[in-house]
Amino acid sequence: MIGSIVLTAALVLSIIAMVMYYLTFRGYKNTLNYARLSYHAMAILVIVGSTLLWHALLTHQYQYKYVYSYSNGQLSTGLLFSSFWGGQEGSFMLWLLLTAIIGIILQSYSSKRSDLEPRVMAVFTIATSFLLVMVSPWFKNPFEYIWAHPIFINIQDINPQYLSMPFLQNFFFSDQQGGQSFVRMSTELYSVLSAQGIAVNNFIIDGRGLNPQLLNWWMQVHPPVLFIGFAMATVPFSFALAAMMKNEYKDWIRQAFPWVLAGTGVLGLGIMMGGYWAYEMLGWGGYWAWDPVENSSLIPWLIGVASIHTLLVQRRSQQGGNSVGRYAKTNLILCILTYVFVLYSTFLTRSGVLGDASVHSFVDPGMLVYLFLLIFIGSFILLGFGALAYRWKDLNAKLPEDENLLSRELSLFTAAVVLGASALIVLVGTSAPIYGQSVDTFFYDEMHLPIAIIIGFLNGLSLLIKWKKTSTQELLKSSIFAASASVVLTIIIVVLSGMSNIMMIILTLSSSFALIVNTEIAVKIVKNNMKMLGAYVAHIGIALFFLGVIGSAAYSEEVDLDLVKNKPVQAFGYEMTFTGYQPIENNTKYAFNIELKKGDKSYNAAPVMYIAEFNNSLMREPAILSFFTRDVYFTPNGYEEGDSTASGESSVVSLQRGASTEYAKTKITFVDFDFPAEVRDAMMSGADFEIGVNLTVESEGKKQNTRVAMQNKGGERLLTAAELKDVNIKIQLSNLDATGNVDLALSSLDGVAIDPTEPKEEIFSVSASIKPFISLVWIGVVVMVLGFFVAVGRRLKESLV
Amino acid sequence: MKNKYMFGGFIIVIFLGLMGYLFTQSNIKYESDFTNVINNDKTVKATGSWVKEKNYVVDRESKTFSFYMADENGKQMKVVYDGVMPNNFETATSVVVTGTFENGHFHAKDILTKCPSKYEEQPIQSSSL
Repeated sequence: MIGSIVLTAALVLSIIAMVMYYLTFRGYKNTLNYARLSYHAMAILVIVGSTLLWHALLTHQYQYKYVYSYSNGQLSTGLLFSSFWGGQEGSFMLWLLLTAIIGIILQSYSSKRSDLEPRVMAVFTIATSFLLVMVSPWFKNPFEYIWAHPIFINIQDINPQYLSMPFLQNFFFSDQQGGQSFVRMSTELYSVLSAQGIAVNNFIIDGRGLNPQLLNWWMQVHPPVLFIGFAMATVPFSFALAAMMKNEYKDWIRQAFPWVLAGTGVLGLGIMMGGYWAYEMLGWGGYWAWDPVENSSLIPWLIGVASIHTLLVQRRSQQGGNSVGRYAKTNLILCILTYVFVLYSTFLTRSGVLGDASVHSFVDPGMLVYLFLLIFIGSFILLGFGALAYRWKDLNAKLPEDENLLSRELSLFTAAVVLGASALIVLVGTSAPIYGQSVDTFFYDEMHLPIAIIIGFLNGLSLLIKWKKTSTQELLKSSIFAASASVVLTIIIVVLSGMSNIMMIILTLSSSFALIVNTEIAVKIVKNNMKMLGAYVAHIGIALFFLGVIGSAAYSEEVDLDLVKNKPVQAFGYEMTFTGYQPIENNTKYAFNIELKKGDKSYNAAPVMYIAEFNNSLMREPAILSFFTRDVYFTPNGYEEGDSTASGESSVVSLQRGASTEYAKTKITFVDFDFPAEVRDAMMSGADFEIGVNLTVESEGKKQNTRVAMQNKGGERLLTAAELKDVNIKIQLSNLDATGNVDLALSSLDGVAIDPTEPKEEIFSVSASIKPFISLVWIGVVVMVLGFFVAVGRRLKESLV
Repeated sequence: MKNKYMFGGFIIVIFLGLMGYLFTQSNIKYESDFTNVINNDKTVKATGSWVKEKNYVVDRESKTFSFYMADENGKQMKVVYDGVMPNNFETATSVVVTGTFENGHFHAKDILTKCPSKYEEQPIQSSSL
């Protein structure tokens, strides 16, 4: 209740702040103080609201639907903290919180710069208002009570002392197929509970929890950083509009520059954190899938980087004069587009249009939210481009001069165009699902290959070309060192790696060229002027990144291995031996140890597999051995305790009660569980117990009963098998779960009597791959982001106008 | 002559052309009606749900994973995927498979599984990097 009130009050204050700031801009006298007061009050209320949500999560207040849906009692404090952004409502709250805080900094920053504050804050508060509407009681309210709309709660999450109560009987619901029981929570049940004096968070004692793939520390880091990047995109937009409000286009460049740099840097970092998360945790061995949602956050980044280059030209051309510099219109357009594409990205992710296309997209949020998202993005497009249209004549008043062909101005503009082309490519591929189409990932790869090559050469050349004019001879002279050094470096790389693909070789040459030019310049200026290093460090970063991508994406090798326990296998120059598995993390997961030997060095890698309670599925986590020149990557595929004398195919089937399967001309039926009340009690009280699985086996008209079981003796779980010699089949129980599902591994016996003392063969199946120089991908990103922040430092000093 | 427009325009025209061409080459349509999938030999993304009554089979020898999918009209087809069973297959309500229908079944090169009303869907499993 209080949470919703706090957020609604914040919305009102945000609108008041917006109005007050606008009135201040129009010249009214006393409104500035009210504006500042309202804004800060709004920000404080947003912080209070967020704290309330965190409190509800940390204290398990399951009367809130959001808390029930995205958290449970098993989450560590860190993960509980991050469940804040586990769902739609919370991720909007996070975005809102970060925007509000950034606004506080922006307010202080703009108040120190002539008449900037009212204009920039008036626009900024439009954004905060929209976000506040989004989390208000009408749309995606994180404080919605769990009974507001009917929802089915698993009886596992209900306090057992209430389960047998008479008033509850009408609210039970059983899912026959899944074998689970639910309570239907609705306003009716809520009234019944209140009448009985039972608090809802006493009635519901556990939540659904987070998807197992989110249960790692990246969940705590990646979304916040990414959202800081998104929130910061609001700032250049506000600056651009502020400039158009005043119809003055010189000062905003220096004022906005540090913000554009910082926002783009953080966004880039956030995006690659997502990539590293995928690489380290998900096990498919890559870091970028050209997934539409990933792509949609890349587009504003590309536009942001493009804008940095054109802002630079405008800033440089304004130096020492009083008139507006070059590319005034371009800069306005790019800064507007950066935020518009952030909104577009949000729209794609949350509206459900990418439902079938992406791993990240939320499910359909309903018509109301969908329409509101459209209005959100539509309003900002209208605002931005409407203002531009309104001011177009004034912007065109000064005729632009022509640039020289060999001028840095033109090279930077070309850079922005190339980045824009990249953004367009990503935009087209990403938006295709809206029209029921999609593109194979090679669309992005093939289109970006020439673009990456151009970027490398262009980058190097543009730094050798001087401002305004360079003669061809000058250019040739200054580039001779870098050109030859990069050819040498490329030859070394090609020879050492055996690279034969001509496009890859050209890309290597182009990246080396950029790398060497930037390093050359960086070395020259590092002694005198450290703060000028920003651009060069960032470019070195991107060059390293390209080289890392070439190595890891184009030259990875993979092999599937079946490692028999204690029998070494040769692969990729290593001797690999599977030495066994052990339970980890409180017996919830299993780590499968692989020992690697190369020469006299030995290493250990332990991929993980486990059955997640959350959805009863097999989960896999890779193991990575990282070196500078390569990563050795292991993805676990499966594990089998084979019979040493067994031969032929074995297959695993999953059966529901009553279902049958056919194997080797025999019909095997899962009849039911042998799970009487005494066994249930034994299980509850922690004593030894055994759950039986009754099966019938039919072959050639003969039918027999057999039984396998899961035994729990002294805490150790043992799954038994039935060996039926007369039909030559072995049925091994490999899993059973509460949904009423059993997994049976079926294989044939040879008719040879099994010697129980003979050790069973343990086989661990794994996919091993080598990823050359993938370290450069991560190092490149870190170096690039560092470069961004060095640049922020420099531009911050110059921004006081 | 406005140098920058010439330069920029030239590059843009080339890229638009290239992009249009590559788009048509790499285009994969979404298909929710399996009759179109079966009668076609193009690569498509077939959407539907997997049929829990018909068991899935994990074949370690050929390293494939097979199951049955039903489309919105209830039409079924067998899907064979070159790889291991995706992590969250059991509880997936709907599935999107990318591939082609040939030799009586659908050869999938990747599978996207979706869980009901949860935060996110499960990672795409690809049989190639």
